[in-house]
Amino acid sequence: MSLTSERVEIPADPYEQYERARAERWSDGVPLLPATDAVVAAILAASPYPADHALCVLPPCNGVATVELVAINAAMAGVEPAAFPVVLGALEAMSEPEWNAFGLTTTTSSVFPMLIVNGPCRDELEIDYRAGCMGGAAGRGSMTIGRAVSLCLRNIGGQRAGETTKSVFGQPARLGFCIGEWEERSPWDPLSVRRGFSSDQDVVTVHGGKGTFPLADIHNDDPLDLLYLIAKSLAYPLANPFLGNVENGEIVVAFNPMWAERFGKAFPDVEDLQEYLRDNAYQPIELWPATNAQILRDHGRVDANARVHLFDRPDQFVPIVCGGLGSLHAIALPSFGESQLQSKAVIRP
Amino acid sequence: MSPRANTIQVRRPTAAPAGDTAAPSFTLGRPVAGLTVALREDRAWRSWQLIGDIWAERLRRDGAETVTVETGAQVGRPGSDDRKQIDELARTADAAIVGLGTCGSCTTFTIKDAVAFEQQDRPVVAVVCEEFLVHGQNVARHLGHGDLKILVLPYPLEARPEEELRAIAREYYPRVLELLGVPV
Repeated sequence: MSLTSERVEIPADPYEQYERARAERWSDGVPLLPATDAVVAAILAASPYPADHALCVLPPCNGVATVELVAINAAMAGVEPAAFPVVLGALEAMSEPEWNAFGLTTTTSSVFPMLIVNGPCRDELEIDYRAGCMGGAAGRGSMTIGRAVSLCLRNIGGQRAGETTKSVFGQPARLGFCIGEWEERSPWDPLSVRRGFSSDQDVVTVHGGKGTFPLADIHNDDPLDLLYLIAKSLAYPLANPFLGNVENGEIVVAFNPMWAERFGKAFPDVEDLQEYLRDNAYQPIELWPATNAQILRDHGRVDANARVHLFDRPDQFVPIVCGGLGSLHAIALPSFGESQLQSKAVIRP
Repeated sequence: MSPRANTIQVRRPTAAPAGDTAAPSFTLGRPVAGLTVALREDRAWRSWQLIGDIWAERLRRDGAETVTVETGAQVGRPGSDDRKQIDELARTADAAIVGLGTCGSCTTFTIKDAVAFEQQDRPVVAVVCEEFLVHGQNVARHLGHGDLKILVLPYPLEARPEEELRAIAREYYPRVLELLGVPV
């Protein structure tokens, strides 16, 4: 296999490599593995596309992401060849116009691509979906796939904090965020199946998530009471959807398997649970100071009961099941608003 | 070529940014009287709505017709409706003033919408606050419209008293006309 990207000579010493990568601005600050021809070729051998295939154009600088360039960044992140198609699928999903990559890569918000993987590949690729799946579990797939996507945005898309991206704070997920769903412990169909794929397909879904928003409870015995409070917590007054369009964006809500089991008994049909969340994720208009309240009224956000709902539709609440068995916590991944979840099947050669 | 001792060879991970070519920009070369000038406002920014409304009033005083469109979305049905309105205006208006770039993604979409006018050979000014100027210029360049005319307003505009915003509108109106190519 012949590679066409520029060959660069770097020090063999890993500490000197680290400094060189920082000087070249290839690095996110964490050490990288060397993208030698042998490693890149092995990764490319796992691609369903040829090396010179232009997979997508990545904002903010609109660099062309050839499969070879993506493979180089995946090599630096430590992606194993079998996981490379997940990286490709994620980038393809992010390139769908409704994901709004140009907006998301340049915003002042902390939003970043958060990857959720469904399908049989989760275990094989070490994509974390049990305890510590959002950080700490250290599965190779989770830690390298998300980082490869992040490096592609940096090195191919040209996304650099304070220069081409205006993100005020960024977020830890800018080093990469990739989790699986604990499908076997979910009382509902996996996210991928709900989005039109079959359960034996490997699927990557990309969410423009603003961060990890923790929810905790130990006092509610009734699952409806607990879910009511979760809905209320999702509708925090400074959430992005209250600033923008009620019909755009989704909030992903990750339930631990124990809570999921309780909610599954109350709502065997996930659509009923989504409707319950939609109906209760609101705040009374009196909550907002006068100026904000007037803006919400002007934007038609106040319903006949003087309530301001977070979202317009039940499907904008996206429950998934993952995490450890501590029956105390959920994590919400709030939406940027102007972005729609995108899913792609993982294609293998 | 073999690597020297104590070195290894790797592949460069970076891509060249797009947008080395600059699409043409356009100027009126005449007064605005008798022309239709489009103003793109943004429902998110009340300060800009006020400034845009003042400029529309002044344009009408100078003999132009004005059409104001208020955008507010980037995706979904509302985003699609916004872009349709912009595309329609780009075909029918004689010139346009497009704002406001005062956050990251709203600067991106201000520039994108301004480019839609330039693609129809219309004189256009993108209005961007100082903090987001470099970002706006980057976006314009990467869209292949590096010569897009950008008017820079002070930052931030939000939370200023109304009288200050009115003064800013008055102060910058002649500069908007100048950038549109109205002879002074």
